[in-house]
Amino acid sequence: MDMNEIKEIFFQECEEQLAELESGLLKLNDGDRDPETVNAVFRAVHSIKGGAGAFGLDDLVSFAHVFETTLDCVRSNRLEPNQDVLKVMLRSADVLADLTNAARDGGGGVDEARSRQLIKELEALANGELPQTATESAPKSAPAGVAPPAPAVNEEGFQPVAFSFDDFDTGDEPTIEPSTYEIVFKPKSDLYSKGNDATLLLRDLSRLGEMSIHCDMDTLPPLDRMNPEDAYFSWKISLKTDQGEEAIRSVFEFAEWDCELDVALAGGTVGMEEDLPMQPVPFDLSILEEEPQAPAGEQDRAATGEGTPRNAAVAAAQTASNVLQMAQSTARVSPENARNSQSASAAQAAAQQAASAATPTIRVDLDRVDRLINLVGELVINQAMLSQSVIENDTNGTSSINMGLEELQQLTREIQDSVMAIRAQPVKPVFQRMSRIVREIADMTGKSVRLITEGENTEVDKTVIDKLAEPLTHMIRNAVDHGLETPEKRVAAGKSPEGTVRLTAKHRSGRIVIELADDGAGINREKVRQKAIDNDLIAADANLSDEEVDNLIFHAGFSTADKISDISGRGVGMDVVKRSIQALGGRINISSKPRQGSIFTMSLPLTLAVLDGMVVTVANQTLVVPLTAIVETLQPEASAIHSFGSSQRLISIRDSFCPLVDVGRILNFRGAQANPVEGVALLVESEGGGQRALMVDAIQGQRQVVIKSLEANYTHVPGIAAATILGDGRVALILDVDAIVAASRGQSLKPEMSLAAAG
Amino acid sequence: MASRNSAQNTLKLAPALDLNEATVLHERLLALKGGAVAIDASAVERVGALCVQVLMAAARSWEADRLSFTFAEVSDAFIKTTQLIGADIGPLMAKEI
Repeated sequence: MDMNEIKEIFFQECEEQLAELESGLLKLNDGDRDPETVNAVFRAVHSIKGGAGAFGLDDLVSFAHVFETTLDCVRSNRLEPNQDVLKVMLRSADVLADLTNAARDGGGGVDEARSRQLIKELEALANGELPQTATESAPKSAPAGVAPPAPAVNEEGFQPVAFSFDDFDTGDEPTIEPSTYEIVFKPKSDLYSKGNDATLLLRDLSRLGEMSIHCDMDTLPPLDRMNPEDAYFSWKISLKTDQGEEAIRSVFEFAEWDCELDVALAGGTVGMEEDLPMQPVPFDLSILEEEPQAPAGEQDRAATGEGTPRNAAVAAAQTASNVLQMAQSTARVSPENARNSQSASAAQAAAQQAASAATPTIRVDLDRVDRLINLVGELVINQAMLSQSVIENDTNGTSSINMGLEELQQLTREIQDSVMAIRAQPVKPVFQRMSRIVREIADMTGKSVRLITEGENTEVDKTVIDKLAEPLTHMIRNAVDHGLETPEKRVAAGKSPEGTVRLTAKHRSGRIVIELADDGAGINREKVRQKAIDNDLIAADANLSDEEVDNLIFHAGFSTADKISDISGRGVGMDVVKRSIQALGGRINISSKPRQGSIFTMSLPLTLAVLDGMVVTVANQTLVVPLTAIVETLQPEASAIHSFGSSQRLISIRDSFCPLVDVGRILNFRGAQANPVEGVALLVESEGGGQRALMVDAIQGQRQVVIKSLEANYTHVPGIAAATILGDGRVALILDVDAIVAASRGQSLKPEMSLAAAG
Repeated sequence: MASRNSAQNTLKLAPALDLNEATVLHERLLALKGGAVAIDASAVERVGALCVQVLMAAARSWEADRLSFTFAEVSDAFIKTTQLIGADIGPLMAKEI
């Protein structure tokens, strides 16, 4: 593992921490006051700060530090996390994310003014919401002034940095007398895997004063049974220092979550057996501090690059503000508090452990997974070819080969399912990104918006997730910018001033359905219609249904916003959305009610790699119909077929009529209408609701097919979703049922269809 | 006991005994198991706790096998670090074999 890899892992973890941070803040925003939530938020920022410190990312450290300081005020109940506070914090989380990205990509992209402004606001909050920007005195006065439960804090004025509240000490006065502390330090393996090292911490510790150390090696297993990257050593340290307990703790600041640490005054609560063989540590450790002179090539290797910037970060942490330290000492002021915080941290550790024990994960390069999936795809095709040739050559059909083949088929299917499951990811990260977008747009438009997400754990293929973010962003922007009204208008309309945008994901019949609902004004159909007429999209006298009017907003170059805003309104939004969703093999629908809001429903395939399909013949062509679309198949009887209008036909199924769709005609496979009685009808359900009977000539069978993109290999063909390779090596087209159904309805998809006819 | 196994191996440690080196060192030591080993730590500039763990575990295993495990040569940084972290290698220092 070289430094770059460690750094890469750090940034990956940052992403997780940022997600944790955001979801925690959102929970707080919803009124969750669970201390564990606050802790989780704090921990997230703290870990980012720690890692950033180790890599010398100063911008990140300094911002994270201020943020952490303010969060610590919340953690210690000195700052009530109300809506205003959380607004600042959520924005800070955004800036923190920007800073992290900037640090990773090495570019700018951070709004300096914004981050400076936020630092000011955060500091103001930490200072008890006083709008003063003065740095002196404020951090000290605030906790004492605001904190109701800080019992023994001596309010004797504004002390300089060296102030200590250590109440285990004899007095409230700053500790200047050297006292001996007993420290138990037990690193976890994480400490090392994060590129930190116990030796560095011990070295920093030894600088504080006279130190004796005992290294506990009892847990060290024999060489052949040890994991060289696990932590086995733990230390009992006796340190005589005049710098107080805070200085000791700050040495371990960045390792706080990765070790067990106990610091107490000698003869205090931590019973340390006197007879332990303590080894005095030589005072002159200067030789160990040579890192800065190390050759440049060595600099970026783990332990070196870390020493100096980390110290700088510690120094910065100490000077920038003292609130954190204050908080820690106030927490320790009363034994009761101390016990609470101890049990809390123990609970945290337990929770963390439980979480990590529950889902051990590995990070795998996506390319490897993709390769595997591709190979499994080939395997499936190959297996299909094999069974086909065996069936063709073996007329008995009872041989053991057949049995073996069946097992093989089952196995391949299982392998395929498992491989697909590797790629399946919850939509949560995308949803979380949306909450930031909502916040930003809400800020820009001066609207008050609440984003509610549901079904975040719905899993879908990673490709789908990756491609989902962009259209979803467009739609969210539109929903907030165009959909929701201003607070004044909302109040006038008798609604709550705060608008709601609801983002839901769920599985429905083998697809993922993502719904975006706002409770705004709904689509102004008059306006849309007028705009479409102005833009020559429709004829002035066109007779359109509400649904068709709504769908006009998906046309390129269509925007109803009177003013073009920064956010949306350039008219590139919704048509892009529609195209990206379609490119994913999905559909998008609108349903809108005036004054009640609009609902955009996207339905997407769970995976873009395989599909269960029914193989059918239409005009001597082999087609695959996705099985998820098919409700039932039936053999039409002449008596059930009814003509309707000039060319439409209906089929009566159990006392209801269903339009009959001649697939061959729609795809231009044949000119004349087929005779329904000679074929088979597939009853399908389309996304828009409603059933249609697709007419095909014959059913060949049911098969799992590997999807090969037609767009990537050829070009988009309306009515065709993709292609596949059959067992006999021939290419079959996969039918886009919804496009066919829409085309059978006539008008709305005409432009595309006429194009298809022309092509 | 070293006399039983005349072929004593010498293992020269890398200058930087960090996280990466711990696994390498572990493997190298495992490969030498069953014979006396002299560790040459003269080139060591930096030592992490993980590598000390590996070395101490090895020392114990060798002791259990009644084979000699010594630090033939040590650098100043090496000895200082082991003192710093309280890992006593004094008894393992090569005096006279």
